[in-house]
Amino acid sequence: MRRYEALQEIMKAITDEPVVCNLGHPAQELFAVRDRPQNFYMLGSMGLASSIAHGLALCRSGKVVAIDGDASVTMNLGGFATIGHTRPKNLVQIIIDNGANGSTGFQPSFTAGNLRLDQIARAAGITRVTVVTAQKDVAPTVAAALGADQGPSVIVIRTEVGMPDNIAVIPLGAIEIRDRFVRSLGGQAGRAT
Amino acid sequence: MTATESLYSTLRRGELDFFVSVPCKLLADLIAKVETDSEVIYTPVSRKEEGVGMACGAHFAGRHAALIMQNSGFGNCANAILSLLNYYRIPVVFIVSHRGSRGEPIEAQHMMGAAVADLLKVLDVDVLNVPEPEMLALVQPAIEQARQARRSLALLLPFSFWAAN
Repeated sequence: MRRYEALQEIMKAITDEPVVCNLGHPAQELFAVRDRPQNFYMLGSMGLASSIAHGLALCRSGKVVAIDGDASVTMNLGGFATIGHTRPKNLVQIIIDNGANGSTGFQPSFTAGNLRLDQIARAAGITRVTVVTAQKDVAPTVAAALGADQGPSVIVIRTEVGMPDNIAVIPLGAIEIRDRFVRSLGGQAGRAT
Repeated sequence: MTATESLYSTLRRGELDFFVSVPCKLLADLIAKVETDSEVIYTPVSRKEEGVGMACGAHFAGRHAALIMQNSGFGNCANAILSLLNYYRIPVVFIVSHRGSRGEPIEAQHMMGAAVADLLKVLDVDVLNVPEPEMLALVQPAIEQARQARRSLALLLPFSFWAAN
């Protein structure tokens, strides 16, 4: 299972939940797997997928999903500390762990060595933590987190390095991504525009 | 009313209702106030950059978000301001103790204290200097104007402002 197959499995379990997606190839692959207005594609600010989703989760009742990468999470490890502090029941952080910086030439990341993000999440006070290695387990694990009364959830999906060779750049501008995302939440961001 | 009380009631009149903070001695009373206000959502954060991300998420949910921090925090979240807030045009209010301003006891603070004005110019963040509580009357219109323009705004509060606390 590569990240692309993991994303396909994740999206089998997602229904109408907002998804904040990590920048670069993950966002481009998610766009190819299933574009929808409820996808917020990051185009910069590496590391902040879980933080954007966390802020959103504190302000609404429904589940909010972050699709993150292992190197991005490593860049914002403090995010675990804050999520473990506020413990929003409706936040589901999915970390696709391919042990590499996939968008920049697949340089090995720290999880290819000694780093275990699931253990850091637990140590931060996040109790619903799952590690998935088999492709068949991805969709049921995500569905279980989306249906759970307990949270926040962290799901670490271990994948192979690599990606399909026909993945294109997302043909949407930042403002378009923002506006359709906010409309899909049923509101008007910041109320006054 | 103390400077902190005047400031907080002004921020609330500006409809700010989602706050995150990284502490500063000058901001201790303000953080204590926001912690106990049941009408707003508040959490401390680990790092300013994380706070920018959370403020963005809150904005998507219709909240008016603010980040409480020292001016040194702008060094910590420059990329997030440019590639998230400015690129997607997400307005966030920064409530900033201006360390390194006149009266600063810690020499190391002078470096970022002197750089912050130029840094905010480069980051294309609007700035309102509030050197004394009497100038708080300018804050609510500045917040509303920045929100309308979808620009982020930094309220710079130097030692002279907090002297009235």
